[in-house]
Amino acid sequence: MRNRARQRWLDTAALGLTAVWLAAAPDAQAQATAEACAGKVPEVRVIVQPMPATGHLDTIKGEFEAKWQTKVEIVQYGENDRRSRSRLDASSGAGAYQVYYIDEANVAEFAASKWVLPLLDYLPKDYDYEGFLDARKAVAQWNGTPYFAPITGGGDMMIYRKDVFAEKGIAPPKTLDELKQAIAALHSPPEMYGWTARARRGSGMNVWRWTPFFRAEGGQWFQDGEASFNSEAAVKATETYKDLFQFAPPGATTNTWSEVVESFRAGQVAVIVESDPLALWMEDPEKSRVVGKVGFAPPPEPLPSAGYAHGLALSASGNPDDCSKLVSADFIGWATSSEMEHRRFEAGLFADFARKSSLEDPIFKEKVPAEYIQALAGTSPRTSLLIYDGPEWPEIGDFLGLVLEEVLTGTRDDIQLSLDEAAEYANDIMRRSQRQ
Amino acid sequence: MGRVTLRLGGGLLTWLIVLLALLPVFWTILSSFKSLRDIVSPIPVLVFQPTLENYRTVLTTPAVRDGLVNSIIVVGSALLIGVVLGVPAAYALARFVRRLKGDIQFFVLSLRFMPPVAVALPFIALWLDLGLYDTLIAVIVTYCIVTISTIIWLGVPAFEQVPRAIEEAAALEGYGPFAVFWKVALPVAAPSLVGAVLFTFVITWNELLIALALTSRNVTLPVVAAGFTTLGMEVPWGVINASSVVLALPPLILVGLIMRFIDRYFSRPAR
Amino acid sequence: MNHSASPGTGQPRRLRPEHRRFALVTLLPGLSLLILLSLIASVGAINLAFQDRMLRFPDAAYVGLENFERLFRDRRFANALQVSAIWEVVTVVCTMLLAVLLAILLVEGVRSPRVRNAICILLIIPVLLPRVSAGLIWRFLYSPTMGAANYPLTMLGLPPIEFLSDPQIALYAVALVDIWQWGLFFGVVLAKLIETLPKEPQEAARLDHAGTLGVYWWVALPMLRGPIIMMTFVKAIESLRSFDLIYTMTAGGPGISTETLDLYAFQQGIGISGRISYASSLSVLLMVMTVIIFSILWKRAARWAA
Repeated sequence: MRNRARQRWLDTAALGLTAVWLAAAPDAQAQATAEACAGKVPEVRVIVQPMPATGHLDTIKGEFEAKWQTKVEIVQYGENDRRSRSRLDASSGAGAYQVYYIDEANVAEFAASKWVLPLLDYLPKDYDYEGFLDARKAVAQWNGTPYFAPITGGGDMMIYRKDVFAEKGIAPPKTLDELKQAIAALHSPPEMYGWTARARRGSGMNVWRWTPFFRAEGGQWFQDGEASFNSEAAVKATETYKDLFQFAPPGATTNTWSEVVESFRAGQVAVIVESDPLALWMEDPEKSRVVGKVGFAPPPEPLPSAGYAHGLALSASGNPDDCSKLVSADFIGWATSSEMEHRRFEAGLFADFARKSSLEDPIFKEKVPAEYIQALAGTSPRTSLLIYDGPEWPEIGDFLGLVLEEVLTGTRDDIQLSLDEAAEYANDIMRRSQRQ
Repeated sequence: MGRVTLRLGGGLLTWLIVLLALLPVFWTILSSFKSLRDIVSPIPVLVFQPTLENYRTVLTTPAVRDGLVNSIIVVGSALLIGVVLGVPAAYALARFVRRLKGDIQFFVLSLRFMPPVAVALPFIALWLDLGLYDTLIAVIVTYCIVTISTIIWLGVPAFEQVPRAIEEAAALEGYGPFAVFWKVALPVAAPSLVGAVLFTFVITWNELLIALALTSRNVTLPVVAAGFTTLGMEVPWGVINASSVVLALPPLILVGLIMRFIDRYFSRPAR
Repeated sequence: MNHSASPGTGQPRRLRPEHRRFALVTLLPGLSLLILLSLIASVGAINLAFQDRMLRFPDAAYVGLENFERLFRDRRFANALQVSAIWEVVTVVCTMLLAVLLAILLVEGVRSPRVRNAICILLIIPVLLPRVSAGLIWRFLYSPTMGAANYPLTMLGLPPIEFLSDPQIALYAVALVDIWQWGLFFGVVLAKLIETLPKEPQEAARLDHAGTLGVYWWVALPMLRGPIIMMTFVKAIESLRSFDLIYTMTAGGPGISTETLDLYAFQQGIGISGRISYASSLSVLLMVMTVIIFSILWKRAARWAA
């Protein structure tokens, strides 16, 4: 009993001394604290959404646990839930998670609210942040400061059934008009449906897929300080998007991206436009019935490609002390290193990557279809962040998503009125936000 | 319509209803032993290689184990508080309160129709301010609203069914009110009270909204189970089925006890 | 369910002091805790409702009635009101209908008490299932591609019904689950009650050549008027708790076609937007409405049941 008390006293003293010393000698900081922190952080809790990369992390987390004598718990939630649960955790200050999984859509919200820490201040000194692809870095920051280390991401790709197109003698479409014609021509239910897309509400769901249509029509989110996604461009984009659903399988109007992937993999659908990492999910022999029959191409003109990234960020409330910051940041560094991406490739997981080195990786080049790599090169120059990048976006986007879902499921007919409502809501949010 | 036809047809129809009513449960249990390939088949697969993989996944997920432990702690404590504070109160209400009885009973019942979301929101703010947000204590205290009120509500009729005469006899023997309650009324009313406690157990065990709102890390089992559905990557139906079964097991184990309670409560001649 | 006769056969005895003390000691802790907690809930909700607190911002200001004004212009609020009303009526009415029919079937169709008891045990299984489990089970059954509910259709070559993604059907599809849980349970309870009825009036009616259903309609059910009214009241209260089922099955979708008041308040306050003040104003209205409506119903129900 007394021993333990003394031990605790010693620990405290050591910690205090280290702190003094740290302040004096910033250079030696990383290593010194690293030694003091091993075994001091009982648990690193990471909230993620299920992706090949996060699943892989879960299988090898033992290595990290051994290094720091800590316990890593990876908690999975679907995308919408992952967002709302991490937001509730952060805004309530509960601090139940040390590492958040965040993305291009909520990085501004989390950074502006100071729920996440500026990552570069805490990452290991030798960490190669520069090595991320420029497109990933571009969406992982807010006001010029990086807030998360990308783990996956990409742009858009047209994913189509080569065999089905060949059978009908149709060439892969290069423009949106050709795409529409092809969809109509290939549509022969119940065996084959022409098209499917995300329709479930959510800024990362239907709004995400709708946005390229909106931007292709020349749409802008805000003009002169007022929301303008109720413009003519938006109405036209919505009409197009909705019309295409007549060629979708039953139940499609509540699709998340997961169900879009499912129906394509099940061989029900001729062509989709989806985020490019998902394209490689179609080549998984255990889950896909269309392996080897899939073609990849940049999205038909004039659709731009919606750039995004998901990654790991350091929770502010979840890391109250220095050791916890250090260990959690080291976890992020470990989980997003170029070695880790290489190890994923070795494990046969090619969909999630974020680094320049990965594109040059021999395994990647050998195992991934050449057509995919070519399409990736074609789509990159057209990739950019298409959503509005302010901290208000999640709310604005989610509301727009709800309205779109209503339009797509046919509970509302008046597209203009629906979008007006979403725009008015956005203006409200902006006013509330500016008052702060 | 002849009585005999009704009886024959009725018997058949009853069995049909029983069959239909239980089909979903049966189907879920069956599917929880199937591999994903057999589940997503467009034609029902009845003969298959059973697998325990789904249960293994569910039971080895740390979230499920933590959720189970949290649920047991939260429901157990709230129930205990509910019994300790609620049962004597129900007795007093049944016997010694005249004028305010109706009002108190209505107040207790009115807590049952208070919208859970109207409870959850202010309690988020309260527990945050007290620094107790996301603790089990916060959930337990909040659940006490449900447990105490439900036990009082169901406990009053249980004590009213105790014949007054035996209590009066005990009082003549010199028992004080507490002794009468403890030694006479409680044992006689116990079987009905067990039913009341079971009912309260079921509703707190199943509670989702408040737990969802008040916890981040210390989630209860329903929150964990609800989380499975939103997993994006290929909906794990086998796992979802298995977790439904695991979540439902504790209340289902009690089905026999609850039936006995219903028998006691309703199978006596209406007075 | 306080259907048993009115308490203490009305001898106006005075309470003895020790009884009064006992009542005070036992009632005070529980009731004061309940009163405290319910005050926190209601005062807290009302207080929040007049602010503009959002989870995203640490501070908040009082904004008067702004939230309520906005609420009355909010199309989703109006929709949620309608959805909640439909839900309430459909689930209560259908549950009671199913319960009455099932009870008659059980009593008339199954003669052996042991078999009937076994069936009764099986039929209360659904109500014991956690709502989350029940929701998940049925979501799986309803799936257009692999759901058992669609097998009969697809076997006949018919297109599957999109139970949960068709805005016309979704609410009723979820309501069916609620009715499945409660209707069967109440059916069992009613059957038990019918068993306890004295047989003579029914036999007399039968001698007057009343059909079996007629006997029930004119004789047995009126005798059980009290319990049936109380059960309806209880079901009406339980139906307010639609959140778990809807949250797990449709999350309010497609669109807002299954968005009830509590789900909408949850989505606004906690789930999606984090506007907890706005959500509070909604839940305060909800609270006031239910308290008023159910207070009136309670008084009425007590009178009708008597």
